[in-house]
Amino acid sequence: MAKGKQKRKGYFSDLRLPVVKEYIYPSARSSLLMIGGIGAFLVAVVFVFNLTVQSGSLVSNGPLSSNHASFGGECASCHTAFDRVSDAKCSVCHEKFGDELGAFTYSSHYLYRSGDFTRLVPSPDEVACFSCHPEHQGTSSSITQVPDATCTTCHEYGSFNSRHPEFAFASEKIEDPANLKFSHTQHVTEVINQEGLVDIEQSCLYCHHARDEGKSFKPISFETACSACHISTSVSTAWLPIASSSRRAGVQTIGSIQTRQAPGTRWADYMTSAEFQQRRDEVRKRPVYHRDPWILENLKRLQDELYRDRNDLAELLQASAGEDPRGARALYTEALATLEDYAEELRSAPGRDVQKALNELDELIRVVKARIRDPFSPMDETKFLLGPDDINPDLDAADIAELESVVDGLTETCQTCHTVQQSAILRVQKDQRVLIRSEFDHRVHIIQRGCLECHSSIPIREHVARDSVATAAIDHAGIQNLPTIETCQSCHAPAKAVNTCVSCHLFHPDKSQHTNLLRYFE
Amino acid sequence: MKKTAIYQRKRPDSPRWLNKWIQSLPWFFGFVLAVFGCLVIFVVNATTGRIHPGNAWGLGYGIGATVALVAVLLYTVRRRTMKLRPPGRAWTYLQVHVYGGGIFLLLMLMHTGFRIPSGIHTWWLWLISLWVVGSGVLGIVIQKWIPTVLSAGLAVEVHYDRVPELIEHIRTRSEKIVASADERLREFYESRVAPSLVAPEPRLMYFIDITGGIHARIKPFEYLRALLPASDQESLDELKELFNTKLEIDAHYTLQRVLRTWLILHVPISMVLVVLLFIHIFSVLYY
Repeated sequence: MAKGKQKRKGYFSDLRLPVVKEYIYPSARSSLLMIGGIGAFLVAVVFVFNLTVQSGSLVSNGPLSSNHASFGGECASCHTAFDRVSDAKCSVCHEKFGDELGAFTYSSHYLYRSGDFTRLVPSPDEVACFSCHPEHQGTSSSITQVPDATCTTCHEYGSFNSRHPEFAFASEKIEDPANLKFSHTQHVTEVINQEGLVDIEQSCLYCHHARDEGKSFKPISFETACSACHISTSVSTAWLPIASSSRRAGVQTIGSIQTRQAPGTRWADYMTSAEFQQRRDEVRKRPVYHRDPWILENLKRLQDELYRDRNDLAELLQASAGEDPRGARALYTEALATLEDYAEELRSAPGRDVQKALNELDELIRVVKARIRDPFSPMDETKFLLGPDDINPDLDAADIAELESVVDGLTETCQTCHTVQQSAILRVQKDQRVLIRSEFDHRVHIIQRGCLECHSSIPIREHVARDSVATAAIDHAGIQNLPTIETCQSCHAPAKAVNTCVSCHLFHPDKSQHTNLLRYFE
Repeated sequence: MKKTAIYQRKRPDSPRWLNKWIQSLPWFFGFVLAVFGCLVIFVVNATTGRIHPGNAWGLGYGIGATVALVAVLLYTVRRRTMKLRPPGRAWTYLQVHVYGGGIFLLLMLMHTGFRIPSGIHTWWLWLISLWVVGSGVLGIVIQKWIPTVLSAGLAVEVHYDRVPELIEHIRTRSEKIVASADERLREFYESRVAPSLVAPEPRLMYFIDITGGIHARIKPFEYLRALLPASDQESLDELKELFNTKLEIDAHYTLQRVLRTWLILHVPISMVLVVLLFIHIFSVLYY
C-alpha cells in the first residue's frame, strides 16, 4: 500500500479534509416513529370501526365453512362476548327437534355403537363442539372432517394403517348368525345358468338388493330374494297324525282351529279345506306357504306340549324363537305387534267382558310400547329364549319322540332352509350388516372393485367356473364372507385412498345411517 | 502489515466468517437450542395431538410468541431511555432483539401450524410478522456487509452526516485550484468535474463494485495531462485527488444511506405489528 493511501487517525486522505472537533450525534429518527405511529393509529381506527360499527369481519379468523356460510357476519349467532363458543349455541339448531338422548355427547358416542346403556354416564372427556369442529377454516373446508388426532386422544390406535384393531367378526371369529342352510356357490351357479348371465357378480344382485342410497343392502327376505325360485305350491308337509283328546302328538285340522277361534287365528277363516288332504286320522297340507300360519300354529301347540313351562312371551313371536342380533327390543316389538293383532281381532267381539279385557289389553300395549321406546328401560331377552332343560316333565321318552316326530314332519319343508331346534324355527338373521362400528359405502367401492374381489372367503368364482357346488365346510351361511382389515388397508393407506377415522366411523349417531341410536323412535 | 478486524481480535483462532457473523457464541448456541426445543415440542404436538392455534398447544405457542415479541421490543425501549440509565448493557438487549426476533417468528409459525391463516386480520398479522423479521435479518446482513466493503475497497472514511459539508469543502478547494489554472483545465473542470461536486451522487453501481466507475471517471485527467503545461500538472494532480475523494464519498454515501434507511422497512411496520397483535389478543379474548 502506498504511503499516501495508508490511513492515519485524523486524516481521510492526503488531502487533509477538515476533521470535526466534537462528537457527531446521528440525526434523529423521530420520522420513523412518526410514520409508524400514524400507520399503527390508522390500523387501530380501521379495526375499531370494523368491530364497533361493522360486522367485525376483519378480525374473523377466516370465512365460515359452507355449512354455516348463511350466518355471514352475524357473529353473535355463535359468539358471546368474552366467552368461548358454547355448545348451547350449537344446540339451538342442531338439536332443534328435540334430542332426548343428547346425540352430541360423549355418552351417546359410547352408546352409539355399543348399545350398552350402562355406559351412559357423564364423561370427563366431554369437550366443546368447537374442539373437534373448528370453524373459520374457509368455505371449502368441512367441519365434519375431524382429523385423526382428535380421535386418537382417546383411541390409542395410531392410525388405520398402524395399530387399528382387526374387525371384530374376524378377530373374535364370530360366525354369521344367519340360522339358514344355504350354499352361495349352489345358488350363484343356478342363477347364472337360469338367467344366462355372463358376469358372475351380476348374480349377487338377484338376492342382495341395494338400498335406495346405494350404500348398503336391504335385509334379505323370502319374498324378495327366494320366492321367485322357491315356489311353494309344489311342496307339501308329510302326512301328520290328527290330534285328539286321546292323542297329544298330532296336529289340529283347519276346521278345529276355525272352531276354536283362539287369539291370533283369524287367518284360519281365509284358509280353505282344499289346501288339505285327509286320510283316516292323518292330514297333510299342500301347498306350504312361507310362514305358513297353519304350520306355525300347530308348531306352537306342539311346543306347548313339549315345553310346558316355556316363556309365554316367546309364544307372541310370529314365526321363530331365539336371539335376535338387533337386540331384545326387536323381539319385544315383534311380540307387541302380535298383541296388537290380538287386540284388533277382539274389537269386533260384542261381549262386555271382552271389551273390558280389550281396554286392559290396550292399556297394557300402551305401557309396553312406552317401555320399548324408552332406550333406558332394561329389556330381558331371555324371556324369548328356550331353556335347555325345560321339557315337559310329564312326558316320557316315547311321548317326546312321538311329538318330535310330528314336529319333524310338520317342518319337513321348512327344514330345507331353516334350522329347527327345540321344536322352534330359529330366527333368521336377515340383516346383512356386520361392521356395526363403522359405515361402509358399497356405492363408492363397487365403481373400482368387483363384489368377489373383497367378498372372497367363499370360493364362489372357482366353483362356478367348474360348475360345481362347494362343500358345506367352505360354503355355508355361517361364513362371514367379508374381507379382513388387511384387504381394506391395501387401498386405504397414506398417499393412497383416504384412511382417516371419520371416513368410516361416526362420532355422533347419524339418523341417516343404519345403526341408528334413534331407531327406537322410528 | 495485515489489517485485523475488531471482531477477529476477540477470537483470533476462530474462522473470520464465524467471527464476522456471530458476535457471541453462547447467544448463538442458546438460540439454536431454543429453536431445537421449539421444534421438538412441535413434533410432539403433531404426533400426540392436533395442530390448532386454539387448543392448549397452539395457545402456548401464541403466548410464547407474544412474550418473545415483548422481549424484542425492550431493545427499542432501552435505546429510547438511555438518559434514564436502564439496567443491563445495550449489547445484551441487542442480542435479545436479534435472536428473540427469530424465536418470535418460529413460535408464530408454530401457532399457525406453518400455514397461512385464512382470516383477513390474521393473514396481515402473519405477513407483517414475516416482513418485520425479514427486514430485521436484512438489517443484520447489510450491517455486516457494508462496513466491510467500505473499509476494504475505499481509501477514505466518511461520517454519513458530514457528507454534504465535505463535498462543499471539496468543491470550494477545487474552484480555488482552477481559478488560477490553464484555460483548458478550467474548461475541463466546468464540463466534467463541477457538475459532480454540487451534491452527493448515489449510484447503484457501488452495490455491485465499490470501486466501480471511479477509475474510469478519473481516466480523463490523464488524457488532459499531455495538453497542460508543466506549471499546471500539480494543480491537475490536486484536482484529480479531490475528484477521486468525492467519488469515494459518493460510494460511502450510497452504501451508508442504506444502513440508515433500511429502518424504514423495519421500524414503522413493527409498530403496526404491535397494534395488530393487540387487536388479535383482544379479538381472541372477546370471541
